[in-house]
Amino acid sequence: MAVSPPSTMLSTIQSRDIPFQGSANARSPLTMTHADRELTEQLNDDVRRKYVKDKKLGEGTYAVVSLGYLKTDPSVFVAIKKIKVNAEYKDGLTMDAIREVKYLQELSHPNIIALHDVFSSKDQTLNLVLEYLPRGDLEMLIKDGNIQYGAADVKAWMGMLARGVWFCHENFVLHRDIKPNNLLIASDGEVKLADFGLARSFADPYLNMTHQVITRWYRPPELLYGARQYSGAVDVWSMGMVFAELLIRVPFVAGNSDLDQISKICEAFGTPTDDNWPGVSKLPNYFPPDRAHIIPLQGRDFFVRQFPTAGPVGADLLMSMCALDPRKRSTARQILSHSWWSTEPKPTKKEDLPKKAGGTKKMGDDMGRRVGQVDDGLFKNAARQLHF
Amino acid sequence: MAANYWVSTQRRHWLFSREGLVDVREKLREKDKLSHTQFPLPDQRLLNIYFNQQLTKLGKRMSTRQQALATAQVYIKRFYTKNEIRHTNPYLVLSTAFYLACKMEECPQHIRFVVGEARGLWPGKSDVRITKRPVDFITSDVAKLGECEFALISEMNSQLIVHHPYRTLSELQPELSLTSDEVALAWSVINDHYLTDLPLLYPPHVIAVMAIIIAVVFKPSQTSFHGSGPPPLAGAMRDGAGMNILAALGEKGASGPPPRIQKLVGWIAESEVDIKAVIECTQELVSLYEVWEQYSEKTCKELIGRVVKSKNLDK
Repeated sequence: MAVSPPSTMLSTIQSRDIPFQGSANARSPLTMTHADRELTEQLNDDVRRKYVKDKKLGEGTYAVVSLGYLKTDPSVFVAIKKIKVNAEYKDGLTMDAIREVKYLQELSHPNIIALHDVFSSKDQTLNLVLEYLPRGDLEMLIKDGNIQYGAADVKAWMGMLARGVWFCHENFVLHRDIKPNNLLIASDGEVKLADFGLARSFADPYLNMTHQVITRWYRPPELLYGARQYSGAVDVWSMGMVFAELLIRVPFVAGNSDLDQISKICEAFGTPTDDNWPGVSKLPNYFPPDRAHIIPLQGRDFFVRQFPTAGPVGADLLMSMCALDPRKRSTARQILSHSWWSTEPKPTKKEDLPKKAGGTKKMGDDMGRRVGQVDDGLFKNAARQLHF
Repeated sequence: MAANYWVSTQRRHWLFSREGLVDVREKLREKDKLSHTQFPLPDQRLLNIYFNQQLTKLGKRMSTRQQALATAQVYIKRFYTKNEIRHTNPYLVLSTAFYLACKMEECPQHIRFVVGEARGLWPGKSDVRITKRPVDFITSDVAKLGECEFALISEMNSQLIVHHPYRTLSELQPELSLTSDEVALAWSVINDHYLTDLPLLYPPHVIAVMAIIIAVVFKPSQTSFHGSGPPPLAGAMRDGAGMNILAALGEKGASGPPPRIQKLVGWIAESEVDIKAVIECTQELVSLYEVWEQYSEKTCKELIGRVVKSKNLDK
């Protein structure tokens, strides 16, 4: 992979065309600059020329995503994500862009979107050449009433998600924005974890991290309570929420503010107290519940009743992902060794999974969106229906 | 640290052989022999000491993590394997590497703040007599740093994650029951290895093991580390006694050294660490401490200032 800045900007770090005083320098410093540049620019051009940019797939505040294909083989498609750089580099590259490049360069796994190349274009922007995932995302499937799917399909999707998340955690990376519209679908049906704009490495012990991550409906209680030190358990909660949403086809806990999110979580799973979650009252944004309204922790029956499609074993897995206390929540590894995967029905083969046409525009929009955002309009109605 | 070192871009793309590194630098020199003649610069390691000290100053003013400074130093090394230092404004490269490394190590600093601090730290005005015009090493235009960030990322092929030996050190502390003094000493040896080419030549675990050996074997009375001169370790390492022990590392079941060291030797023999590499790293560090004696901040500052001013690289 190679990226090279266009020559216009090189003056900052390269010599200017001002002859050195008193020297008999026949070559201007600028020529030398070009000589030096040649190789890297050449490499960058080679990369850029490998691909042909086609139509725009989507656009967001952060990036424009276009369809592209290999020049040598037009049947091989890619998605080219062009990162919008702040006007005149005012504030440097955003953390989103930095994180995305940083992690995708290192992580390679069938359930994580692949970064094929990076190059810079003439207008001084970074272009990420990403795997092309034409079948939209899980959100589209969930919301499309014309699509029927069952337990075996959910098991297949969840299995792919769990493997992707496990791989991130195994490599000490937290994704921090798992939700259905970040789970893109490849042409062969494989689910891929995308959008690493909020990802970061596990922090060293005692080092604080921000709690302002993960789209609200998928955000775990410890983050809502303002925890600054947390683990892979935050992603596991989000996975649990995706799992629940796949089963009931509406977001399971959809608060319309952070406070509302907490109260909806309490209603759904029980009120966090020092008894069921030792130490929770010490978290910065914790507030003691009204004694009259303490809801006891939900047991297995609740999950079995609420999510009949999953079957008792599936409900057990879901429950382990939705433990309020992050220390009691399953890890990605434990999830993968759960007995649900080997219980009937077997997961659907990825080629046979339900699919939907017209996913490309969705991919474009998904990838261009700023992280941590949800298209508010989309779920408005769904949220209103949800009062339990 | 994130992701797995063995499949990392660091191991796949940024690990050089000694010959490879010499070759890369020789090619840079070949391309512009004239500049090399006109603008002599001190030994690379002395320059590194200067860069390191400047970065530390910059970092101190903004209370940054050690790891970000380490990452910045690796970025600078990588950048200068592809770019002739005499064509750059090292102060801008330093500030940018610092700014980017802070973002990478999750302790971001605002670009304006970095530029402001860098300007305060490196005022160019004292050199008016050379150029007959007052100039700053870093302009107040933050966009310059933004542009340079883009160039830095590009030159590093967007491969930004750097694995450091610090973590290996922390992991091995309980296993080898290292005392806190030994850990502190090994830690500062790791800090010092950024002054050499070692981060481009060896994987981080080899460096960590080397640092532990030095800490345990040489165990110099630890006074204040990092003054202006080479650390006291230099003397301890030069007197040779320790080198014999090192030599014994290669032979299994060496007898003679005290039990504490024997235990370490035993552990290393059983581990699959490349002992030859560890010894080479140790030697590299010994020669660093020798070169250190010639270090003069003033010389480095003047020579770099001359390059930047004469070629108008500060624009």
